[in-house]
Amino acid sequence: MSEMDPREVEMDSLLRRSMAAPVPSLRPDFDQRLMGELRRRSQPSSQFSRILLAGYGGVSVVVSTVVMRGQGLGWGATAVMILGPLILVATVPWVWRATHSTTRHIAR
Amino acid sequence: MIRVDSDSQLVARAQGGDQDAFAELVRRHSDHVFRLALSILGQGFSAEAEDVTQEVFLKVHHALPSFRGEAEVGSWIYRITFNQAVNLKARARYRKPHLDDTVLSHSVTAEPGPHSLLETAQRDRSLAACIQTLPEVYQAALRLYYWMGASVAEVAALLDVPENTAKSYLHRARQLLQGLLKEKGYSYV
Repeated sequence: MSEMDPREVEMDSLLRRSMAAPVPSLRPDFDQRLMGELRRRSQPSSQFSRILLAGYGGVSVVVSTVVMRGQGLGWGATAVMILGPLILVATVPWVWRATHSTTRHIAR
Repeated sequence: MIRVDSDSQLVARAQGGDQDAFAELVRRHSDHVFRLALSILGQGFSAEAEDVTQEVFLKVHHALPSFRGEAEVGSWIYRITFNQAVNLKARARYRKPHLDDTVLSHSVTAEPGPHSLLETAQRDRSLAACIQTLPEVYQAALRLYYWMGASVAEVAALLDVPENTAKSYLHRARQLLQGLLKEKGYSYV
């Protein structure tokens, strides 16, 4: 830093004074928690289960549509009744993750 | 004699499913990743920096099979970290940047007298606000160098740029800060 002009030297000194503060570090159990999270995420989900679930979902949608239409419901109401719970189910894990993360930050 | 694998050897072993090799990679780089994330997010965001560190290693683990070794392992990891932290920062603008209490207490010890103490605190707050307006790489370079005490070589390694570029980031950041503080009416000696 020998090529600094006098004003830059002043700024350098101000930055050193102003930014001097303890630097936090990772929690000591970080490695274990990371490896635990990795193990949790790499559980192989069975392809058969996924096919079964998708098939069940598809059949449910078709049967529900036929029944609701049979009861005289319009297409709009039928779509809302079917898609509403699906959106709810898709949103719950996202909300849980956001809440879980915020709670963890507050706990720290 | 203890055999110490290089990063590339560890990656090759991890690609073959060796979890111990991946754990060793994490041990080697986690502190650097955390410090880089913290340098981008700023003081008071250590919890978020830790989350970024975890996400980075989960991404690295996920991307290991496709890593072909075109770049250094460290550079690859730090690039992921930079992007991850910048993305988080863009999403987390709701949290106002603030000065850590230790910065203010440090100023208190350096400047006796209530008037100069207040002035110093205000100037430090302005400086912190000015730093927040700089480009991300300048902010990261400043925090790594001045807050975390990293050398220019370390700043260059973490930002994945040549040393001269890291030097010019610091030089340009100081120049910009001089101008910004002057606009705010602060003499900073």
